[in-house]
Amino acid sequence: MAVTSFFFFVFLLFGFGLFYLSPGRFQWVTLLFLSLVFYHFAAWDFSILFLLLSAVLAYISSNILRVKRIAESSRAKGCVTAVAVIAVVGNVLLWFLLKGSSFWVTGTGILHRFLPSIPQIPALPIAGALGMGYYTAQVIGYILDCYWGNTEPQRNFLKLFLFVVFFPQLTVGPISRYSDLRCLYEKHRFSYDNMCFGCQRILWGVFKKLVVSDRVGIIINGIWADTATYTGFYPWIAVLLYPLQIYTDFSGCMDIILGAAELFDIHLAENFRNPFFSRSVQEFWQRWHITLGGWARDYVYYPVLKSRPVLAIGRWSKKRFKKNKRIAKLIPWAVGNGVLWFVMGFWHGSVQHILGVSVWFWTILLISEIFSPLSVRLVKVLEVNTESFSWHLFQSIRTYLVYAMGVVFFSAPGLRTAIGRYGIIFDAAKHLNPWIFFDGSVTKLGVTFADINLLIIGVFLLFAVAVLREKYGYARIWMQKQNLPFRWFVWLALFVIVLIYGLYGPGYDAATFIYEGF
Amino acid sequence: MTREEVYERLNKVFQEVFDDDSITVNDDTTSDDIEDWDSFEHINLVVAVEEEFSFKIPMGKVVTMKNVGEMVDIIMETGK
Repeated sequence: MAVTSFFFFVFLLFGFGLFYLSPGRFQWVTLLFLSLVFYHFAAWDFSILFLLLSAVLAYISSNILRVKRIAESSRAKGCVTAVAVIAVVGNVLLWFLLKGSSFWVTGTGILHRFLPSIPQIPALPIAGALGMGYYTAQVIGYILDCYWGNTEPQRNFLKLFLFVVFFPQLTVGPISRYSDLRCLYEKHRFSYDNMCFGCQRILWGVFKKLVVSDRVGIIINGIWADTATYTGFYPWIAVLLYPLQIYTDFSGCMDIILGAAELFDIHLAENFRNPFFSRSVQEFWQRWHITLGGWARDYVYYPVLKSRPVLAIGRWSKKRFKKNKRIAKLIPWAVGNGVLWFVMGFWHGSVQHILGVSVWFWTILLISEIFSPLSVRLVKVLEVNTESFSWHLFQSIRTYLVYAMGVVFFSAPGLRTAIGRYGIIFDAAKHLNPWIFFDGSVTKLGVTFADINLLIIGVFLLFAVAVLREKYGYARIWMQKQNLPFRWFVWLALFVIVLIYGLYGPGYDAATFIYEGF
Repeated sequence: MTREEVYERLNKVFQEVFDDDSITVNDDTTSDDIEDWDSFEHINLVVAVEEEFSFKIPMGKVVTMKNVGEMVDIIMETGK
């Protein structure tokens, strides 16, 4: 059951009615029931067992931690650590069992080519569990929060299970903290504002996905499907449009999920904050997939930086480079960030994601860290006004390009294709064809002029909403202040655009969400 | 140890970590107020505070600390 399908919206309507008709004390039971129904229709039947196993592991371990934490003896403390480690490792192993196929298939495939005696291990004949990367991250966060004493372990197993399977966020996140989702178990009263905001947000998400993202996808797929014909600047069109596709796809899905949760008076964490306004790659990752970045910072980066080996490296580096504080800091920085980015790439689940996320962004950040004093000096010497619009624009375009070059790995179906695409991109000089931007050649890629115009309008709308969001926090807060006829006109116009121009229905199979596979 | 005494020593720690003698912090200071205070420097700061006040800040507090005021509360609870 895709979250853009008609079936999902009927299900949502049914769930909405059932939820507010349920007595307050049992509303969480209704949510659990709805989540299980959703899971039944959205994923293969037995994969729910993996979620159950994950929740059981979290439940048992967190409650052992609760009991053991009270004891003061060093033996009890050792036991607490052992329980937390076993629970975290157990969850990672479960995830790896479901997700790891691509690692061992690719890994053993490469080894097999050089050493034929090493057999290539085939993929498991299971399709993975829906949202495995997201719920595993949530469960690990919950266990560590219990271990660190930041949250009180949940004593009711079914309530904890609801935290794992809560249906709007199950497919593509956001990765929620247990402390932020305690509201799942509270009484909720129907609110007109929540209903309006929820529906508006869902509509905006559907617009992003069905009108913009899937249209951009047609152009990109058309180019990559026939790289012998589409040479020169065509691959660059695909490369430069892909961030737009992945953003409208992922953030569109997020809008639908956050809107759906809002209908139930549940406010999930935001995952995006205008990432393409970022002035650096570092800032980009604070605005893009925010909950994954926050999760990796708190549960991976901080513990790694504070671990004994990294602290020892820091002390050694401080002693070795006494005169150069920057170099002394750079070494532990590189180690800590190396682990952080490896986990970020590994979470995405394949060798090509490790290259596209871990290696690419770690290298870019390392280079910018090394050259930052030089660039600061250069900016001073050239008397650049760093607060000017033009400088901001230059920095944002630079960040966009860096991201676009990295996610080429994301757009390819396999590692070899991804590497091949870089070759094609840098081959553009051999087939210079700048006229394709003006002579209507792009309309041969499966889209018409009307589609291109619609895309331009869509991008303009996205930009306007992004600007409003930067200024008011939320575009809809601004919208709420407008007069009734204007508000209704905008929402109805958006609804009609989605209805007429959305790529759905017979003849169209709405593309699955890119981030659904994680 | 009074709050003032803690701040006197804490200011020196901040100045040393961020290499800036003009830094003075108060209860409401957050990472938004100091330009270089990112997640990496956050841990450098935590380690420097641990060394200065001879105690270990628990990982749970490292993650949840929201401002310098909370850091001072932790120091006053267990620091020396």
